[in-house]
Amino acid sequence: MRRLTIISRRLAIAIVVATGASVGVGYAASLGLGSNQLHAWSQNLTKGTCNQTSATADDTYVQQALPNSTAGGAATALTISPLAGAQNYAFIRFDLSGCSLPTTAGADSATLTVFVTTNGNDTVSLFPVYSNWSSSTLTWNGVSGLTIGSTATTSFSAASNGSATVTVTADVDSAIKAGTLWGWELRATSGTAIVGIGASENASSMKRPSMTLSYEK
Amino acid sequence: MKRLTRILGIALTAALLSVGVASAASLGLTTGKLGAGSVAVNGCTSSSLTATRNVDTNGNVTQVNVLSVPQACAGQTLAITLENSSHTSLGAASALVGTCTGGCTATVTGFGTVSAANVTAYALSLTQ
Repeated sequence: MRRLTIISRRLAIAIVVATGASVGVGYAASLGLGSNQLHAWSQNLTKGTCNQTSATADDTYVQQALPNSTAGGAATALTISPLAGAQNYAFIRFDLSGCSLPTTAGADSATLTVFVTTNGNDTVSLFPVYSNWSSSTLTWNGVSGLTIGSTATTSFSAASNGSATVTVTADVDSAIKAGTLWGWELRATSGTAIVGIGASENASSMKRPSMTLSYEK
Repeated sequence: MKRLTRILGIALTAALLSVGVASAASLGLTTGKLGAGSVAVNGCTSSSLTATRNVDTNGNVTQVNVLSVPQACAGQTLAITLENSSHTSLGAASALVGTCTGGCTATVTGFGTVSAANVTAYALSLTQ
């Protein structure tokens, strides 16, 4: 009788183990099939253009020799000077609010065109600006309060009068995502001449800054 | 005693066979419930998440960012295909969704040289 009891116990254990193993296999199968499940969706993009003219431009230049003076609003040309102690930097930006672009949009391409009105042997580089400024208030001393990229986006030669067009796609793309385009600081990174580019107040519309913009949203 | 042992042996065999059949049924039923597993995966992204992309100076796509990815999707593979107007693939890449606090932005890079101007749609998927 005692042996019968032992056999019965072993039988019960065997059934429990076998059942447990079967359940284990069942869970493994569950995980395996679950791993193949998929969630998929798509997103269509709308393409468009929103070219900018002097109507949405704001520009100025700041003068080391007149560190508290503003030059925006009336100047018909923006002067850029590399001269030690008398440096001038120009600033240009565009108000993109009329494009009604959400921060999830982006620039497919963007080019900035300026017109060199006074040429010289300078290379003018564009540094992206990441903080708010206005032509009516910006001064040389105020520039230190701005956040400006340390690496130039692009540059152009001011060796001859006429249009100079540079690609600024990445900067504008980032600005759209940030919500506002604060534009660029234009600074002579080589050369010795004082050069000028047309301001948005220039009498000739072809000499004013402009920007082409193709976007997606 | 031998007879008793034989009876018990038969009983044991029958019991194990029964368990085997029951296990098969279990597996069958469990397999049938695997649809619930699918629901669980979909649950991490019940809505279509918004994607944006960054470009380099030349206007080529450098990365695609999928916004507000729920934490529940951490560890899943996010695959993205850049499509043109004919829904032809211009480039594809994938990445594992990392862990983060709150809604995450998942970033996928490595699409090759694809002009953003030619991309008119994103095809996205999440797999576990």
